[in-house]
Amino acid sequence: MSTLIALIGPALHTLAAELPSQAPQGNNRLAAQAAIGSLFSLHILIAGLVSGAGEIGPAIEFLGFVRQRRRYDRLAHGLGRFMTLYFSFSSAIAILLITVLLVGYWGHFWTTMVTIGWWPLFIEAWTFVLQVSLAYIWYYTWDPLRAFKGVHMAIGGLLAIASFLQVYMIDIIASYMLTPTNPQNPLRLALNPTSYPLTVHRTIGNLAYIGFAFGAFCAIRFLRARNSEDKAFYDWAGSFGLLWGVAMTLMQPIVGYSYAKEIQLHSFGSWYKMMFGTLSPVFLWQITLLGIMFVTATLYFGRRLRTDGAPGAGLLRAMSVGLVLTTLLAAMPYHLGFTYADVAAAGLNRPFWEGGLINPLGSMIPWKVLALMFYTLIAIAAVVWYLRGLPGVVWGSARRGEQRILMLMAVLTMLMIVTMGFIRENSRGPFLISGEMTIEGQQNTQNTQPTPAP
Amino acid sequence: MGRIAAAYNWFDERTAIRSLIRKGLYEAVPVRGAWFYTLGSATLVLILLQLITGIFLTLLYVPSVTEAWASLHYLTQHDAFGAIVRGIHLWSAYILLFVIGLHMIRTFFSGSYKRPRELNWVTGVGLFVLVLAMAITGAFLPWDQAAYWTAVVVTNIAVYTPFIGSFLRALWRGADTVGPTTLSRTFGIHVWLIPAILFPLIGAHLALLRKHGEFGSYVNYRGAYRSREGVDVPPAPKQRPIEPPYPAVPTDELWAAPLETEDFYPHQTFKDGVVSAGLVILVFILAVAIGAPLEAVADPATTSYTPVPEWFFLPLDELLLLVPQQLIPLVLVLPTGGVLLLLALPFIDRDPERNPFERPAVMVPGAFAVLFVVILTLLGSGRLFNL
Repeated sequence: MSTLIALIGPALHTLAAELPSQAPQGNNRLAAQAAIGSLFSLHILIAGLVSGAGEIGPAIEFLGFVRQRRRYDRLAHGLGRFMTLYFSFSSAIAILLITVLLVGYWGHFWTTMVTIGWWPLFIEAWTFVLQVSLAYIWYYTWDPLRAFKGVHMAIGGLLAIASFLQVYMIDIIASYMLTPTNPQNPLRLALNPTSYPLTVHRTIGNLAYIGFAFGAFCAIRFLRARNSEDKAFYDWAGSFGLLWGVAMTLMQPIVGYSYAKEIQLHSFGSWYKMMFGTLSPVFLWQITLLGIMFVTATLYFGRRLRTDGAPGAGLLRAMSVGLVLTTLLAAMPYHLGFTYADVAAAGLNRPFWEGGLINPLGSMIPWKVLALMFYTLIAIAAVVWYLRGLPGVVWGSARRGEQRILMLMAVLTMLMIVTMGFIRENSRGPFLISGEMTIEGQQNTQNTQPTPAP
Repeated sequence: MGRIAAAYNWFDERTAIRSLIRKGLYEAVPVRGAWFYTLGSATLVLILLQLITGIFLTLLYVPSVTEAWASLHYLTQHDAFGAIVRGIHLWSAYILLFVIGLHMIRTFFSGSYKRPRELNWVTGVGLFVLVLAMAITGAFLPWDQAAYWTAVVVTNIAVYTPFIGSFLRALWRGADTVGPTTLSRTFGIHVWLIPAILFPLIGAHLALLRKHGEFGSYVNYRGAYRSREGVDVPPAPKQRPIEPPYPAVPTDELWAAPLETEDFYPHQTFKDGVVSAGLVILVFILAVAIGAPLEAVADPATTSYTPVPEWFFLPLDELLLLVPQQLIPLVLVLPTGGVLLLLALPFIDRDPERNPFERPAVMVPGAFAVLFVVILTLLGSGRLFNL
């Protein structure tokens, strides 16, 4: 043993001398931001699925019970299996994020945030315990409680509530960072200006995301399926997932717009940055991406009906053309420079036909709002038309093209989630807590400090 | 024969009251899900409560810009009974809006609007719109700050009606701005015009209900229901023969009449009584505990007052806030189009299927419309909290 220590000891001493004595600071801020950003994105991409599965799974089980259809039960059970497999992975990333990266790089901020948001974080911790317990109970009592379906569905209901509460609690913290209010009052903190819109936006988003995700998963399984029973199940489940995802996404333009409105009213700098500043090209991409998602989904609806000769395929094709046109309108940039400030500084803030760099057709009001309205309305009509045509569909007969679309939808959704996360987190810059604490050096910037001094 | 019995016989000989009561009390109603059907009778009880308390209020209320607020202030401050009556009027209106909304949702999801009950649904939609109109016009009457600014906002919405918007606003206001004529016209609409349409429509709604029978939901037909996957559900344990009013007119065989029925009295009347009494007690408690607020007298010149909409206006208010002014006419198409779509619903959705889980093409958009209203209300309330 002593020989081993003698051999390894000097090497460890050398390594210890090379390592920094504390968390990297100063010049490493960008690297730290990149590390946290990428890990948070990964966390959100998995945690969103877990939360969504915890909410949609019990709903699908209930639906199967009242409709007396076994395939719903199979799908819900699959979602339960997913939760038990991925919950720990998502949790491990969250723990790494908080205990190592946040505490290490932005320790003062995190201490402040825990002090301010103690109650939400306390409840969050317990809903986390509740969620993980219920998820495992829900999944592993599937067969033992088959004779007591009501009890099993009640467990599922509790799981859905715990999953929602967990998202809501962490949203209180996230929304407070963008629109801080009086932190001495827990109710004010919980109902800060963007807490409702963010919670509704994210809950619906998680529900849509899990739909698109299991749609894609079922598409892969459909392509690998060897027997007709599996083919029929994965074909149906893929269609169901997409339909669910699109139906949920239909709510997002109005909820997202409301969210943006609250940011405009309560954190104008962040809003300006999103609409006219450095984040405006990313925001434009987000609106465009939403239109692309609706176009892609409508293509699936049309193709799936056409495969079985079900009625409505022609009209759905016409709708996808309408969606393309409205998406093109939504995708038009307002200023043909990186930011509006750049264009104004160059003295080119006049319409392009007058030699400027402004495209009036790209303005939010009224054109983008109109485009949002119309592509949402067309997408609603597409969902209704697809539902009307569904009785004519024979499950199991789908083609490869439809499955590719399902996979593409999941990729587009993931892109959307990462884009939205990027916009929200960067819109606060240069602040960690909007207008109150900076990213650089974690300095409190207000005289009347709502946050404790470092 | 006692004198009372003799008098009753005399009266029955001239009015046929006995057979009327028998017809009224002993008709067949569905057994299963009967608690859900109590929403209709609860709506009626709350409307009657509105009528009774409204009559009391008109005994004291003066519909003039100089006297309206003062009369209600006197009532609130110096007449304990009057304050409670006003509280009951307000809270029963709030709960009425909620209950009539639930009643419509129940009818929609159970498919009770389908043949032969299309006109039941149409009159029901009419009643819903009229109740909403009662609530909106009633909100003008106290002539406090909230009432005045509600009047300004609501009458201004009329201007977005295509072609005749300015005319409608001028007709309602009676001038360019909200003032004495607006109040007296709104009072007239609230106590005369709307009730004159509302009560005959309630009569028609009830007559149609009696003609076709209470439909119920698909759970009343579970024994006859065969899943599309071929899973047979065992028939209901007991089955009464079909009796009047089922089936009133030839309709889809499966959905002609519930499998299990019972007499309206005492079974359904008991449930109706429990729910209605519970709601009346709740209204009374709220009226005593919270009462009806009365803000400062209306001041058109104020610049510091922040108007807050009535809760039932929150979805529309949130929508109006979100949408740019140029597009407001487009947004107002939504509620108008929504009402027209509701009226047309039984003529669009003519599939006899009643099970909500088997008609997703109607249920999904319907569920989303409800969700949309709920979300807008949530967002609106969150915004008001942070004013």
